[in-house]
Amino acid sequence: MRLARALALRILFGVLSLVFISFVTFVADELAPGDAATIAAGEKASSTEVERLRHTMGLDRPWPVRYVEYVNNAVHGEFGKSYYGIQEPVSEIIARSLPLTAMVASLAVIVASTFGVAFGTIAAVWRTKAPDRSVLLLSTLGVTVPNFVLGPILQLLVGKQYLDILPPTYEAESSRVAPLIIYLILPVLILSARTGALVARLTRQSMIDTLQQEFIRTAIAKGVPKWRLIFRHALRNAILPVVTAVGTSFGFLLTGSFVVEVAFRIPGLGFTTIDAIRQSNMPVVQACVLVTGAMFILLNLVVDMILPILDPRIRESQV
Amino acid sequence: MKKLLKDPIVAVGAGFLLLLLLFAIFGPALRTAQLHGMANSSHFDAVYTPVSTPFAAREGGLWLGTDEQGRDIVARLAQGARVSLIVGFTVQLISITVGVLVGVLGTFAPMLIRLPLLRFTDAMFAFPDILLAILIVSTFPQSGLGVLPVIIALSVTAWPSIARLTVTQVATLKDREYVVAAKASGASTFYLVTRHILPQLSGLLLAVSMIDLAGTILAESTLSFLGIGIQAPNPSWGTMINTARADMNSHPIALVWPCLILSMTIFALNFVGDGLRALLDPKSR
Repeated sequence: MRLARALALRILFGVLSLVFISFVTFVADELAPGDAATIAAGEKASSTEVERLRHTMGLDRPWPVRYVEYVNNAVHGEFGKSYYGIQEPVSEIIARSLPLTAMVASLAVIVASTFGVAFGTIAAVWRTKAPDRSVLLLSTLGVTVPNFVLGPILQLLVGKQYLDILPPTYEAESSRVAPLIIYLILPVLILSARTGALVARLTRQSMIDTLQQEFIRTAIAKGVPKWRLIFRHALRNAILPVVTAVGTSFGFLLTGSFVVEVAFRIPGLGFTTIDAIRQSNMPVVQACVLVTGAMFILLNLVVDMILPILDPRIRESQV
Repeated sequence: MKKLLKDPIVAVGAGFLLLLLLFAIFGPALRTAQLHGMANSSHFDAVYTPVSTPFAAREGGLWLGTDEQGRDIVARLAQGARVSLIVGFTVQLISITVGVLVGVLGTFAPMLIRLPLLRFTDAMFAFPDILLAILIVSTFPQSGLGVLPVIIALSVTAWPSIARLTVTQVATLKDREYVVAAKASGASTFYLVTRHILPQLSGLLLAVSMIDLAGTILAESTLSFLGIGIQAPNPSWGTMINTARADMNSHPIALVWPCLILSMTIFALNFVGDGLRALLDPKSR
């Protein structure tokens, strides 16, 4: 019962976060220079003409009214039109760029978990030996080297000048010389570096702790083979750190996807946002930030709900 | 202090940071004086004025050659260090002031102020930093304001972690015997906070703000790399990395050096900050 209350509180906090982010994006649009009326009127319009347009578009109503309307529209997937170009509906821009970002990010989570668990296990099994040391060094680098340093340096290395093995930028739109996945190898690798390093560290620590516990000693005494001991008995405890690390990594993944998309020119949500800011295209910025923030909040909520289901100890501590 | 520098990693980190500080303070002017003969502009400034052809080789006084506009890379790295440190220190100053203030109010203010303040801090803390920073930067005109939008954006995102730290620390400190004793002998809350609690907190805040400084410098470079941070012609390591990418295959030097110096700075700040924190707050180990 107390668990239900803890979960209900968590959901309430998630909803409040959503309200908060919608309000912040609304205020940002209010503060930004120029509005939909000035854009619609064109550059040569007089101020009375802009005022008239503002009135017909309903932009001169008090802000609480417009905020409620904004939230209502957003819930229905309606974000207005882009200021520039063919004035495409913003919802279509998002529908186009979101899947790409989601794909790169989920691939990165998969890669980070796989490599992280593998390296973490290796480090724990050969504790204080050479493999352990190299994994620790690698994970320190993975956590501290910024991804916008890692990105260009790797692009340089795989590019024509040196190794010449992978395409340095994303070109799936212009020329389909290679399948999509070839273009995504490098971005996914860079995006997964930090999360992978975290997973490796947590897996190593939890494996070391587990291997010292009594049920492992009993298993050794009973003559369970070493590999079976590691995979069947100890590694099952490693799934938790993976979920925890991925859960705490959504922030990095978010920052990383902005950087990676700009560095590799992948037309995902991050690239679209940055592009829109450079053009002061507020409706696009507003919607992109709102959608990204909402995804961030929902993913964190899901992880916080999953953790107590996976681990009875957390379930106990929460109640 | 001696105990701290015994750790070789911390010593190397501190040495690097000292060199970086000197480089940032004296680098731009020294390079200007040094390269004066190479450029023929009357208002010569090595950071902004071309000294040679684009991507000139490393020769003469040009230790790292020139960038895509023929400007001296060393001078721009020095100015980039200056920009990063100025932005970093300003943001830390603002966020510590606001954070400590909110933290203290969050402990001692009446319930009606305290609770909304704490919930607001939590909401700000949970909000992804980069998203908020991007949103704030986007509300400013894209040019003409210099480093101001970046400083505002990063200050707004940096204070909640300091506030939360202050709340937890003050909560334990205010129940210490000497504080309770002072309170019993009639000291005001203001006196308790300024004389007994904050001085105890200063060491830990220093250590945390060093680690946070690394985060701020990283965030500034990230925004600049994305093209929405420090605007041209002002150099920032992030902008330098971004622009150098265009010609990286033929001129990797312009890319590698800002990457190197930025990564070293982040490493050094983390090492020194962690060492300091472990010394002052044994629990964090």
